[in-house]
Amino acid sequence: MFKKLFTKKRSRIFNLYRVFRALFISQYALMVEYRAEIALWAISGTLPLIMLSLWSNSQAIYSFGYNPINLAHYFISAFVVRQFTAVWVMVSLEEDNLEGKISPYLLQPVPPIFRYLFSHISEQFSRLPLVLLMIFLLFLFKPNYFWLPNIGSLIISIGTIFIAFLLRFLIHWIFAMICFFTDKASSLERLLLIPYLFLSGMIAPLEAYPEQIKQFALLTPFPYILYLPSKMLSSQSFNQTINIEVLFIWIVVLSIVSVFTWRIGVKHYSAMGA
Amino acid sequence: MLRINIILKYLRILFQFWSTSLSIELEYKLNLFVEILSTIGNLAGSLFVLSMFYTADNTLGGWPWHSSLIILGFYTLIESFTISFLQPNLSRIVKQVQNGTLDFVLLKPVNSQLWLSFRTFSPYGLPSLIVGIILIYIGLVKGNYYVNELSLIISFVMFICGLIILYSLWFLIASTSIWFVKIWNANEVLRSVLISGRYPISAYPLALRPILTFLLPVAFLTTVPAQALLGIAPFSLMMVGVTIAIVFFVFSINFWKYALKFYTSASS
Amino acid sequence: MPVIRVKDLSKEYLVADKQPGLIGTFRHFFSREYTSIKAVESIGFNIDRGEIVGFIGPNGAGKTTTLKMLCGLIHPTSGVVNVSGNIPSLRKYKFLKDITLVMGQKQQLIWDLPPIDSLKVNAAVYGIPDKEASYRIQELALMLDLKEELNRPVRKLSLGQRMKAELLASLLHRPSILFLDEPTLGLDVNSQLRVRDFLYNYNQKYQATIILTSHYMADITSLCKRILVIDKGQLFYDGPLAKLTQQFSPSRLVRLEFNEQINFSLLKHYGKIIKQDNYSVKLLINRNDLPQKINNLLNNFSIRDLEIADPPIEEIISKIYSNKIE
Repeated sequence: MFKKLFTKKRSRIFNLYRVFRALFISQYALMVEYRAEIALWAISGTLPLIMLSLWSNSQAIYSFGYNPINLAHYFISAFVVRQFTAVWVMVSLEEDNLEGKISPYLLQPVPPIFRYLFSHISEQFSRLPLVLLMIFLLFLFKPNYFWLPNIGSLIISIGTIFIAFLLRFLIHWIFAMICFFTDKASSLERLLLIPYLFLSGMIAPLEAYPEQIKQFALLTPFPYILYLPSKMLSSQSFNQTINIEVLFIWIVVLSIVSVFTWRIGVKHYSAMGA
Repeated sequence: MLRINIILKYLRILFQFWSTSLSIELEYKLNLFVEILSTIGNLAGSLFVLSMFYTADNTLGGWPWHSSLIILGFYTLIESFTISFLQPNLSRIVKQVQNGTLDFVLLKPVNSQLWLSFRTFSPYGLPSLIVGIILIYIGLVKGNYYVNELSLIISFVMFICGLIILYSLWFLIASTSIWFVKIWNANEVLRSVLISGRYPISAYPLALRPILTFLLPVAFLTTVPAQALLGIAPFSLMMVGVTIAIVFFVFSINFWKYALKFYTSASS
Repeated sequence: MPVIRVKDLSKEYLVADKQPGLIGTFRHFFSREYTSIKAVESIGFNIDRGEIVGFIGPNGAGKTTTLKMLCGLIHPTSGVVNVSGNIPSLRKYKFLKDITLVMGQKQQLIWDLPPIDSLKVNAAVYGIPDKEASYRIQELALMLDLKEELNRPVRKLSLGQRMKAELLASLLHRPSILFLDEPTLGLDVNSQLRVRDFLYNYNQKYQATIILTSHYMADITSLCKRILVIDKGQLFYDGPLAKLTQQFSPSRLVRLEFNEQINFSLLKHYGKIIKQDNYSVKLLINRNDLPQKINNLLNNFSIRDLEIADPPIEEIISKIYSNKIE
């Protein structure tokens, strides 16, 4: 009895793996087909580097405990983190909705969320070589910015980046469900970008923020999407306590909410006549 | 006489375009609320970040707080143009290439670039337009700047040049959708090109300034119009701005023609 | 003087090949090999004003490519196209105001708004004064049997209504040359009939030249006196529909009714039996032996009724498609 249940479970997981592999390969092929897209992508993710160039000219950084070098480490890390936590599920869901692709997905024996999740992961892999190239070029022009995170913190960073990605994906997924109601996700996406831009630590490390704003930001999920993994990757110590519990609470809450919004969304979608 | 006829024809077309897109937008009421919210959020965030630069120094690249506000004001105006015209039309172009309805546009007796660039109009740029003007006004008054009519006109001309430069860049990106069909990234690129215009060019490291002036001429979008308004824009720089605007614009027209050749020789 | 003149028209595409799988994808990233594919190969024909001509051929035969070269959307690799004195690929406004393209699977109407709004846009685009435009809309709406549908959002219209509105939008500027790519795709029989009738009336009323492709043979047989069969990019046949049957079907269909029950095996050496009933039979008999065989039949059997016809057009077309005829 137990064994049967176990094998059933295992075959389901195996099936999910096969779905992932197939999606990975086809998505990778698709991305390569659009190879110029990847380049555009890389350009569009340069905001942390722009902010770095601005801050490095400013005296203000010393007042919140940075020097030009570790600030550079922070922003370069933020650049890398941003590249691998990019989420565009709202846009693809809106597209698929308009093109009527959702209905066939709903009929397939794989939960649609995995389809989008996997396609994100594979697309991020296709971006890996280009990100490495850009980092290499950056270090070539600015050798004094060079650093290597040690293996331990690198592994932890990869873990936190992945968690960050999942967190961001969940947020976007929940918002994407509103897609089903409005048909117009682009404006919501723009709205969601604002707290991400100003609270995640993309525009300045959190240390630069006034105390109250910083405390407020740390209660939102946004710093855990960018600030936390960037600090990890740049191997910097935290001179204030980050509440890991907040991160976990957010993950649990968002997972539950995403399941519910998905159900409500699908119900609404089918009520509309699919 | 013939010219006037053509202009009248295009005005009539634009009027039809925009009244139809306005009635589409009004079908989605939630959007208005969301757009106003994001304008306010953006303004608060931008002011907050700008203020962080002034915690230790009282200048940013030689610009005092109030003149930085003017730059932020111009940035907000640019953003209103982007929201109203560039973004909605860009996603439209890419969609039309994707599903082949570009064919219909090409078979209309109208300039296809004009059609594609100004087919829709989103009213949600208006809040940013108002906010931008207010920011510039506050900057001028609080900074005790005196502006005469001449510098107002020059600044306006330079701002138009900035819009032309941005438009041309944007249309170049849109043209590439003939080869690479994906909407989202192009919008992202546009957004990130813009973001560096929030701050005066002189705040950037020396090595980056030529890039931001000539290659991605962000300088002419916000810094130069602000300088012109304050009467401190170097004449040569303004001439460069006008030249770049003309060159970029002409280039965008020709590039579109070139891209169309590919579309018409490869599509099926 | 023909309206459309086409000579030696060819179109080649370059297509990048990709091996399947991850390695193939990887290789594809760095170097791409291109093969050229001939979509259309030295086609030539003339079409006169007022003609209705049907393009037929299997999928991928080059029908749509030819159609798009005629309206200037695709530049030919070589050859000459002349449509009402213009070179289409230049897409001069004078030329564009003279033609229209309707595609059954693509639409130009604004999805969220009633068709009337799209019509207003088109009126502005073609420079039709408001009064004239509303007059034309009324006239065409009457011909198409469209009424209050013009004031309902496009997304709420049925496929048939949408197609009719689409036709209205494409014909507002009264083009004299119509290119129609699968105009009845996905429509029910009734709507197909409406669209066909309308096209015929439009052709009669304005002496318009109509070129259409369709997979529904009924469209072709009821509208087109002349057809062009295109296969593998080449012009396979150009001429009247009736002649196609003569040329490509060596036999005729003979239906016989008998007074008594007969042994069907006796009929075998007269021709191929297609269908048999108690008292009737359908036979395919070679054209050349027809008089002789009929004579024999009448002598040997007690026949109540006899009918000679061409075999159904679908059969011939499907033969052409499956390349059974060389």
